[in-house]
Amino acid sequence: MTRAWKSPVPVRDAAPTSAAEQQTLPFAEPAPRIKPLSVTPTPVRRLWFCIWLPNLPLEACSAADVAPGGHKAAGAAASYRALAIVEEQHGIHRVLQADPVAAAAGVMPGQTANAALALLPTLRLEERSLVREQQVLEALATWLERFSSFVSIAGKDVLLLEIAGSLRLFGGLPSLRRQVSKGLGVQGFSAAMAIAPTPLAATWLAKAGRRTCIRAEENLGPALRQLPLGCLDWPAGQRESLTSMGIINVGDCLRLPREGFARRFGAERLLELDRALGYLPDPRDSWRAPERFCADYEMTEEQSDRELLLNICRELLLSHEQFLLARQLGTQRLCFSFFHIKSTATELRLGSAFAERTAARWFDLLKIRFDALRLPEAVIAVRLRSGLSQALQAETARLCFHNKSGTQRRRYSIAQLAERLVARIGSQSVNAMTMVAEHRPEYAWGVRNPLSDWSVSTLTIRDCIKRPLWMLPEPALLPTDLGYPLHKGCRLTLLDGPERLETGWWDEQGISRDYYTAVNGAGIRLWVFRNRQRTPDWYLHGIFG
Amino acid sequence: MSLEKLLENPRVWRGSSQIDARARLVSGYPELDRCLPGGGWPLEALTEILIGQYGMGELRLLMPALAQLSAEEIQTHTGEYTEPGWIAWVAPPFQPYAPALQQYGIDLSRMLIVRPKDDSELLWSAEQALSSGTCAAVLLWPDTLDDKGSRRLQLAAEKGHSWAIAFRPLAARQQPSAAALRLELESTGQGTRVHILKSRGGRPTVLDSLL
Repeated sequence: MTRAWKSPVPVRDAAPTSAAEQQTLPFAEPAPRIKPLSVTPTPVRRLWFCIWLPNLPLEACSAADVAPGGHKAAGAAASYRALAIVEEQHGIHRVLQADPVAAAAGVMPGQTANAALALLPTLRLEERSLVREQQVLEALATWLERFSSFVSIAGKDVLLLEIAGSLRLFGGLPSLRRQVSKGLGVQGFSAAMAIAPTPLAATWLAKAGRRTCIRAEENLGPALRQLPLGCLDWPAGQRESLTSMGIINVGDCLRLPREGFARRFGAERLLELDRALGYLPDPRDSWRAPERFCADYEMTEEQSDRELLLNICRELLLSHEQFLLARQLGTQRLCFSFFHIKSTATELRLGSAFAERTAARWFDLLKIRFDALRLPEAVIAVRLRSGLSQALQAETARLCFHNKSGTQRRRYSIAQLAERLVARIGSQSVNAMTMVAEHRPEYAWGVRNPLSDWSVSTLTIRDCIKRPLWMLPEPALLPTDLGYPLHKGCRLTLLDGPERLETGWWDEQGISRDYYTAVNGAGIRLWVFRNRQRTPDWYLHGIFG
Repeated sequence: MSLEKLLENPRVWRGSSQIDARARLVSGYPELDRCLPGGGWPLEALTEILIGQYGMGELRLLMPALAQLSAEEIQTHTGEYTEPGWIAWVAPPFQPYAPALQQYGIDLSRMLIVRPKDDSELLWSAEQALSSGTCAAVLLWPDTLDDKGSRRLQLAAEKGHSWAIAFRPLAARQQPSAAALRLELESTGQGTRVHILKSRGGRPTVLDSLL
């Protein structure tokens, strides 16, 4: 790989043979007077606005408190408690960030959670949630789309805007910058911002805490050279070895021979420097807020004919399908609203296991739910709103050469079947099973949702002792006669046992039981146990089936 | 009149010599297989099992067949391969116990437990599961099941190439049913006796101490 990379860009140590080769030494010279690698000059000048959110873990958490309804904020202010974000490092929870109130009490990043609580007993500790941070970042990216058509999420806490085209509309750079800064402040985010002609340069400048704005490319090099290595997103080990060599800023890095630098620190680091200086292109992904479908169907007069309403819903679903088809998307949630003149609108929500767009399948689900839907009065308008749209999932088909009949056996997949069942009888009543590694019989299994957890692998436990096929929801107390357990008025004959299970002391649900296989008067085999704790009672726990 | 012509007459019943063209599944109990036409459970049909009380061995009777259905893809008598199917439990009276099912070799990741609120929902769910084509077997415990209901289940099973197994109380013996196979379990001191009450293409038999 290094060979291939080396050949087009000669190194500094090699004897320069021609002027053309000298031109390709991008940062060996003190200042690149001639722009290297300038085969075609960049037609459009770009300007990148970087927003770095250093306090995102803390702010994402406080944003989540305020988010559900702004009116809650007043109540929250009265009972405000200092907040600190903790993160688990090597099994110990340590403070990652603390808000000003906590910091004033002496809570510092790096402290253990217990030390922080000792300093401030009322401190609220929250576990860091990367998922929540990503959601906040996406929400901010969506908000930033008003300033630029090109917003990009770069890493965990960095947002990039391409603003060259937005300057005139927003009244120049200072005004645009003020608007972004103010908007972020209102939403409760503290950000470090910088503007530069390349995205990496803007990011580094923002992380260095320079509120700089570099518009001309020729000013980029001098500005970057002064940056300390700390603001580069490089591995700590590499930064340390560079520092021990006496290289403390980007300018020192650029003075090193290219070949040796690439060999010691990887070609990727060198490419990063080239991209930051604008010698290499640095394409970024553009963020697009997910689109939602919303359509209304208004009627000239109130209708209560259910058949007609269903047809209207079908039409809405068809246009929804067209909307998604054009974007190659699907959705998992739909909501129909039936509007009435006097009463509040009746809502009907539908869910699907996978992203889905076909109107026919949504209509199938709708029909099941619509039968049970009660409309308080006639309907004047119908609205269809879709949930977040997402990419369609490809289905795995099989190569069925041996299926000569050619007839499609499967009408729907298990996910579709589960959806239909859930639509009619409710999600609590449709379950799949899973095993749990646990010795207590009542906890040795679990239910899972057939609509969501598909990839759950089931644990295989091979017990040599037979377990009953039927399990009672709760162990049932058996009456006794002279110490012998009775079932339906008949003494049980113990066949097998005892199997002693004595476990679970750690969570106050501990058991200590002797299990037996017993047979009752009718010849039915039962799984019974004698409790060894407290009173020695007999219980029926299962039937062998 | 030649013999062939005579046999074409739909009024002629040919008993066990008539091989049913439908798919069969070995039950895992050789004695039972010998008594069932085609040598196994009739798939793509409704089987009724009448029991006096729960736990008489009705599940043990089915376990080898269900394990076969849920495990690998199986080759049917026509040489086609079917995908491993799901097994739906509709309104089971107790909790089917996962560790025990696994001991019998059933793949737990392909179990679906449905608990409908009433009998009409039960019948609807069972029909949906049967006709979907993804469930290899559907076990159901209806409180009541009339002639019409059993016919609906039978048709759904044919449509979805699935096996419906209905567990019913002994009183249902007097009711007509569209089931292809009806068994009755009777508990004796030594074991469980299986009565074959009705078997399409076969004849009623009694099997002593099968389980």
